[in-house]
Amino acid sequence: MDTSNSLVIETHNLSKVYKEAHALQGIDLSVKQHSIFGFLGPNGAGKTTTIKILLGLIQPSGGQATIFGHDVQRDSVAIRKRTGYLAQEPRYYEHLTARQILGYTARFFYRGPKDLIEARVQEMLELVGLEDKADRPVRGFSGGERQRLGIAQAQVNYPDLLILDEPAASLDPMGRHDVLEVMEKLRKHTTIFYSTHILDDVQRVSDTVAILNRGKLIAKAPISELLAGDGCSAIYDITLKSEAEAALVGARDRVTGQPWVQNLNLEAEGSLTSWQVSVSDDGAAEDLLLRLILEDRSLKVKHFGRKTYNLEEVFLELVEKENSK
Amino acid sequence: MTIQTQPQTTRDLRLAARQGLLPARGSGWLAGFGNMLAKELGEWFCTRRWLWQFLIWLIIINGFLALTLFVLPALASIYPELKPTADGVFAGLPPEVGGVMMYFSIIVMTGTIGVIILAQDEIIQEKQSGTAAWILSKPAARQGFILTKLLSNTIGALVFIVALPWLVTLVEIFLATGQLVPLVPFLVGAGVVLLALFFYLSLVIMLGVLFESRGPVLGVAFGVMFGGLLIRNFFPPINYVLPLSMEGIALMVEQGMALPVIFVSQLISTAALSIVFILVALWRFQRIEL
Repeated sequence: MDTSNSLVIETHNLSKVYKEAHALQGIDLSVKQHSIFGFLGPNGAGKTTTIKILLGLIQPSGGQATIFGHDVQRDSVAIRKRTGYLAQEPRYYEHLTARQILGYTARFFYRGPKDLIEARVQEMLELVGLEDKADRPVRGFSGGERQRLGIAQAQVNYPDLLILDEPAASLDPMGRHDVLEVMEKLRKHTTIFYSTHILDDVQRVSDTVAILNRGKLIAKAPISELLAGDGCSAIYDITLKSEAEAALVGARDRVTGQPWVQNLNLEAEGSLTSWQVSVSDDGAAEDLLLRLILEDRSLKVKHFGRKTYNLEEVFLELVEKENSK
Repeated sequence: MTIQTQPQTTRDLRLAARQGLLPARGSGWLAGFGNMLAKELGEWFCTRRWLWQFLIWLIIINGFLALTLFVLPALASIYPELKPTADGVFAGLPPEVGGVMMYFSIIVMTGTIGVIILAQDEIIQEKQSGTAAWILSKPAARQGFILTKLLSNTIGALVFIVALPWLVTLVEIFLATGQLVPLVPFLVGAGVVLLALFFYLSLVIMLGVLFESRGPVLGVAFGVMFGGLLIRNFFPPINYVLPLSMEGIALMVEQGMALPVIFVSQLISTAALSIVFILVALWRFQRIEL
């Protein structure tokens, strides 16, 4: 069976209502096996609510969700046997040591000789670099150490699905780097579903992204598609050099005269002029835009390129568009 | 398509098997039960808690008994004016019966307060701190979470409030009177006071599930205890329902006396209400959002 495109998480019309507030409104998600699925959204968007529904910690008001084909409400324990979870603010029994917490966690999944459980615990401590703090009570741990312990306890059963709620939120840049590295290493064996608001991290490691705002899913696509825009409209950045103003005016008129050109912003700096051309038909622009400019041979094109978005721009644009509705 | 791999074929189990580990036992209500129970019992027996609990109840129950069995009579022999006080402590009963009565009475009063205080935080704390959500994100059943809290506290109360003082009471009475209290009736009587403690434990666990703060938990539990004692004079039917005379019932059982209907009703009602409290706690906790 080819499972490369198999779905690990599937939700249909998932919703959650708290009294008058709609925390989730008809969420449809599909997370492929071995993907790193970034779940984005501003604070209060409903990310943690979705994660808690998937784990059976809260009940949905409507819709359906399955993990590994099991219903999240009816077969929650079966799902949790194959899942690792790191909460947004991981909480443990403060008087227990990291080693005791990991041992306790491991025994939810396994039984066997104490030394074998201990070996698994040691492996997890090494994975997150907590060996030297393993026998200290967790109450003295910093935020970053708690987060590392959280990753270790989430990974203790080598889960098929790892659900991480803001895994890098309280980490310093090095800690974030380490967490992302661990996630990339785990991709081969594990599907990772994680929420975050750190967009750089998402762009670096995720292959698929969903953006949630005010309980609504406003975008869901492979990250390459999302960054490429909608496939029709696009913006071209062009830098021209010309000593003759008339040549520039002529070129501008030729370009703005095209039905597929929506807008042209220009900015002059010395002999260089920068244009930003918004087009509604990317195909036509690809074929014709440069040719139209170069009809006047006195113009020199110093730069011509389709503007590439970063995730932050896409995210902000989508959220602002949604909020203005 | 959606994956529906059988759990025994999953990667973690293959790796675990290679390392010599087996999948944890228990499914349904029993998922994670053994692990959670071991952890909860560890809180009682693998920390210093056992020492404190042992000393506290030894001093409260057996210390007070020692005072009445040894110290007061000794003082009365030195200061004859204390003799009426020493004789009055057991209300004219022989010391071996009076000692047993005192054991039951102290447990029902102080043991009840003790279990309410010990258990009031068990559920609330876990809900508020987020540890309940952490545990229940693992393959652990919600029912097991509640039942292990109840069971571990019952075992703790049994060992430290009932059983160890029971043993020391036997020795104390033997040393004071030279007579051995009949073991089986004394054991059954201790079972009656344990039922009283179990009633309050299950009540507090249920209240911990129903409420989000300690105030209502303590208020309702102490309200039932002290309110019941106050109300029973004005509203006698309450004696048929609430465990308000458990020390008397325990003594009658220990002495092999026939129980009046009101006491039989109280015993049955205490057991039935405890079960109701547990069922309500299980039902409600199943629906709680963590």
